[in-house]
Amino acid sequence: MDFYMTLFTSICVNLVAILSMFMLIGLTGIFSMGQAAFMCVGAYATGLVAVNFDIPMVFGLLIAVLVGMLFAFVVGMPVIKLRTDYVALITLGFGEAVVALLNNTSNITGGSMGINGIPQKLTAGIAAFILIAVLYVVINFKNSKYGRQCIAIKNDQISAASMGIDVNRIKLMTFVIAGGITALSGGMLAYLTTYVEPMAYGSSRSIDWISVVFIGGINSLTGALVSGAIFGILPEALRFADALRIVAQCVIVILVINFMPNGVFGGYEITDLFKLCYKKISSFVSKKKVKEG
Amino acid sequence: MENILEISNLSINFGGVKAVNDVTLNIENDSITSIIGPNGAGKTTLFNLISGIYKPTSGKVILDGKDVTGLKQHQISHLGLSRTFQNIRLFDQLDVLKNVQTALDARANYNVLEAILGLPKRYSVDKKNSERSQYFLEIVGLGKFANEKPKNLPYGMQRKLELARALAAEPKLLLLDEPAAGLNPTEVEEYILLLKRIRKEFKIPILLIEHRLQIVYTLSKQIYVLNFGELLAQGTPDEIKVNHEVVAAYMGEEEEENNAEGK
Repeated sequence: MDFYMTLFTSICVNLVAILSMFMLIGLTGIFSMGQAAFMCVGAYATGLVAVNFDIPMVFGLLIAVLVGMLFAFVVGMPVIKLRTDYVALITLGFGEAVVALLNNTSNITGGSMGINGIPQKLTAGIAAFILIAVLYVVINFKNSKYGRQCIAIKNDQISAASMGIDVNRIKLMTFVIAGGITALSGGMLAYLTTYVEPMAYGSSRSIDWISVVFIGGINSLTGALVSGAIFGILPEALRFADALRIVAQCVIVILVINFMPNGVFGGYEITDLFKLCYKKISSFVSKKKVKEG
Repeated sequence: MENILEISNLSINFGGVKAVNDVTLNIENDSITSIIGPNGAGKTTLFNLISGIYKPTSGKVILDGKDVTGLKQHQISHLGLSRTFQNIRLFDQLDVLKNVQTALDARANYNVLEAILGLPKRYSVDKKNSERSQYFLEIVGLGKFANEKPKNLPYGMQRKLELARALAAEPKLLLLDEPAAGLNPTEVEEYILLLKRIRKEFKIPILLIEHRLQIVYTLSKQIYVLNFGELLAQGTPDEIKVNHEVVAAYMGEEEEENNAEGK
């Protein structure tokens, strides 16, 4: 694969993970600071299976999703009932624990050497297809009763519960689905880079995703996608600036947070634009009809 | 007439403070009952105990023949209890229609797979619920604000929206916590008419906390008076108006004595 294709594919992989982050932070208000650990879990699950057995990619990715959901369920069960700040702390701890564990169990996971020799199977087309499929799932989730319940929970838990919403159940469900999606991105990454190693999945990665969601606009799926794509391209576009590119990236983050506290997109989606156009056109047409009449 | 809500010997302590102490009261089916009392009398705490936000230290709450003591908020909601809050608690990021729809969403019968795969059942259920929500909005007179954000509505309308949301859960008993707080006199008049209309249309018994005696006396059939977490008096509006203990608790003892001397 040439440079641009690889860049495109890795952005797709990252966007899948960012979509799961959007579900957690944007929709439900769960601050998972260790979400990258689920990516790590997914990558290792896929890696181990792909190295040891010759199976098609679909199954490798499916295993990643299932393992990710299982981990999310186990972690989520006790954590989800806590207050937001404690959830952030515990998931942060979980993330670091997973990395440390993988580093130290060299006989199974290869320790800090990671797993090498995973077949390179992920093409740009497949990555884009998976991204669109996940996007479909997340949009549907957001627009269904679950999305509305998640937002209700984020806005006011007591009020949500008094409407009959089972707060803990909905939160856990979102956490498990998001965990599965993050793990899927991990599996994709394993098939793209052909190796997995634990150090790449520390908390800094999770925090990167959080900042992407915040910059795009915490309530906007479009915002999360656009800023995810931009922050995927930015490090490459700023490559000429060498070490200064980190400074440039930080400056952008600070500017956005300062001048647009609700993120670039605020609460707007791209579909709002379509609706607006439709309104404008239909009102224009009806005016014309009135004139003609 | 049978009772929709029976509370017996209900108490809760916060540390050494007995916020609600040994309260026993019955709410008749098909009527409006009010709870009044000075600030800090434990009225809202009592509501929070009934609706499951707090767990009582002792005592029992029986809703429509079922023991709901110590159940979780959402379980009690599904058993037929709906409430509004003293300081309005709406969902700011959902528009007015969807605020109402959350109550129906909690009762919508499609599962997560049908939701994320976008199967037709989801669309048909959501469409039905959205129409139903619109119906409740029309009832409280907010029909044309369906796509506004609640924050953009004036205070009085936010109160009505909260009422519509509580109604949409199709409760067997409606708890209203100071629904007229912060409303101007015209809005209060409107609210009284609205409550009367809702009583007529839905036949839901209502339990009301209110400071404005105008509302309490016009609407309620039975009044309970709380003071320092304990039940001070109960009776019909006419009985409460002339009850010395109640007047003393509200106006203060000394005033009362002075008035008596004056006579």
